[in-house]
Amino acid sequence: MSQWLAHVIERAANVDDWLSPVRANALAQLKQKEWPGRRTEAWRYTSLHKVADLNLQAGSQASAEAPQVNGLNSIDLVFVDGRLTTDIAQLQLPAGISITALDAKSEAADALFAKVKPAHHLFGLINDVLAQQGIVIDVAEGSQVEQPIRIVNVATDGVESHQRTLVRVGKGARATIIEHGAGNEQSLNTVFAEYDIADNAKLEHYRLALQEDQAIHVGGSHFRLHNESKLNSTLVGYGSQLTRLDVDIEHAGEHAFAKFNNIYLLAPHEHFDLHSTIEHAQPNGTTEENARGIIGDKAKAVFNGRIHIHRDAQKTLAELNNRNLLLSRGAQINTKPELEIYADDVQCAHGATVAEIDEEALYYMLTRGIDKQQALVMLNFGFVQELLFQMPNKALADWLQPILRQRFERMMEQK
Amino acid sequence: MLTIKDLHARVEETTILKGLNLEVKPGEVHAIMGPNGAGKSTLGYVLSGREGYEVESGSAELDGKDLFDMEVEERAQAGVFLAFQYPVEIPGVSNMEFMKESVNAMREARGEDALSSAEFLKKAKEACKHVELPLDFLKRGVNEGFSGGEKKRNEIMQMIMLEPKLAILDESDSGLDVDALQVVAKGVNSQRDGNRSFIVVTHYQRLLDYIEPDYVHILSQGKIVKSGGPELAKEVEASGYAWLKEGESA
Ligand SMILES: Nc1ncnc2c1ncn2[C@@H]1O[C@H](COP(=O)(O)OP(=O)(O)OP(=O)(O)O)[C@@H](O)[C@H]1O
Ligand SMILES: [Mg+2]
Repeated sequence: MSQWLAHVIERAANVDDWLSPVRANALAQLKQKEWPGRRTEAWRYTSLHKVADLNLQAGSQASAEAPQVNGLNSIDLVFVDGRLTTDIAQLQLPAGISITALDAKSEAADALFAKVKPAHHLFGLINDVLAQQGIVIDVAEGSQVEQPIRIVNVATDGVESHQRTLVRVGKGARATIIEHGAGNEQSLNTVFAEYDIADNAKLEHYRLALQEDQAIHVGGSHFRLHNESKLNSTLVGYGSQLTRLDVDIEHAGEHAFAKFNNIYLLAPHEHFDLHSTIEHAQPNGTTEENARGIIGDKAKAVFNGRIHIHRDAQKTLAELNNRNLLLSRGAQINTKPELEIYADDVQCAHGATVAEIDEEALYYMLTRGIDKQQALVMLNFGFVQELLFQMPNKALADWLQPILRQRFERMMEQK
Repeated sequence: MLTIKDLHARVEETTILKGLNLEVKPGEVHAIMGPNGAGKSTLGYVLSGREGYEVESGSAELDGKDLFDMEVEERAQAGVFLAFQYPVEIPGVSNMEFMKESVNAMREARGEDALSSAEFLKKAKEACKHVELPLDFLKRGVNEGFSGGEKKRNEIMQMIMLEPKLAILDESDSGLDVDALQVVAKGVNSQRDGNRSFIVVTHYQRLLDYIEPDYVHILSQGKIVKSGGPELAKEVEASGYAWLKEGESA
């Protein structure tokens, strides 16, 4: 047991709200957990020693600006150190959508809290017991909400914070949710999000884990897909001092479709760990997952992509591809694809490769007068930019592109 | 403009060009025809400096400068443009950034200032219009998912933007429908200014109805075996290349 976790358990006893019964259950499980070490499979390549003895201030009254995304025109819900700073009563909401705070008891929150997220995530349990603030979004059956909803979390210096997101997309409804994280000073911030996507519903989802430098960010996005529902999700991450994300996509209904792209761009010394688990519990589901990373000098990426096809999940189509570009000898990747297939009539492809320069593309660029150095920058960045181009939200992609490009160019200089 | 003398070149272990001579003067259009596998594309690759294409002997000069002494990008900056028979797809690089980088690299080589975004966009719009390529093609990945004809039009669009001294068009007409053929030809003709030279590789006389060549050459087994005026293309169209074999056995 780490000092920090012991302290979490102590603090959990003081949390008292309408979610207490669920929290108590999480706390009981948490007490059974061991602090992860090298032999803990889920944390094998990511050491938590930086967290073990952390002693940060719990929460703050700080105010901070949310990063602006030009042209996005989103409904913004801004959290600073886990505290909601947006007055949701003042929001102009489109028809068919309800947004409430987590501390207000609601049927939606009750149906979602700790119901989609699997219980085995250590920090998920920590978030269960400590996240007192969060947002609950309920999209009514059939509502087509065009305007994106952006949930921003900003972590400030010296603060530990926990925040929760719960989203229900009703039958045949459609919504776009952007989880946008920022912060670069010493902080620990956990954000767990649970999504229930009903029959025939569509969710466009983004998670921007743009914490950097001294920040520590641990979180997850967990999705349950019902019959004929569609998920299109893009995750963009930096490494920060430590960024760990767990994504679960559960095909709980038939004929569901999930596209999950992830991009990680690690500056020197950053650490990024993504564990994704796709559960195909029902037949006829489709999953396309593409993870691409560029890893700078002395940075480390961990990618664990698991696809689990249950016995009844016949006619599943699942593809997972992870490609990594290491910018120097000091860059490190631990990638582990895990395929578990218990159904016999499925199509599955799973691969992890180190990206190589496409010589033909390079030659083509040179014949257009572009010098080799620049052509390599463009091709290497193109490797992740390809996934940016696939983002359905062009305003968000256009905002991210130059930011990622600059980060990449700095990474190239520092290698 | 371009002087090629007794060029021998090989790909891996196979010698493909076996003593090729060609002289292209400013403003001239030379058509090169010849059977599949004759070495037409190889000539373009060797002139542009593709890796793996090795010059065994002979020379190629552009305005008196030794092309084989330059890197691929330097040849491009010196004014050689190759429109590919099979343009390459680069999914992660947008056509827009690709062209911008390219246009500015050429400008820099000529000692000119980089174009501003607005200036570039204006130029790109004009070039797209020339070849009737919708503007949103600029936003897509380079050639990504373009149809065969769209790729060819994209090559001509690039040529228009880059304003080369010498353009080598490798089967820019193949895979084009009748209308697209005219569009491409019109694009090429718009760039004929009395100074710019063209080498047009084609299998069909049809293209040469629109882009009238000064000379037509027949390339066979790595050499130019016959040269003439536009009428030579018509002969080929009418009777094919069977005479090449007869010539061989005689
Ligand atoms: N990498 C290679 N290794 C060996 N031979 C090659 C290689 N690349 C090309 N060749 C050969 O070189 C010859 C000339 O090819 P090239 O592409 O120049 O022909 P072409 O005249 O352009 O034909 P087409 O009309 O079909 O386009 C062909 O026989 C081809 O098979
Ligand atoms: Mg050819």
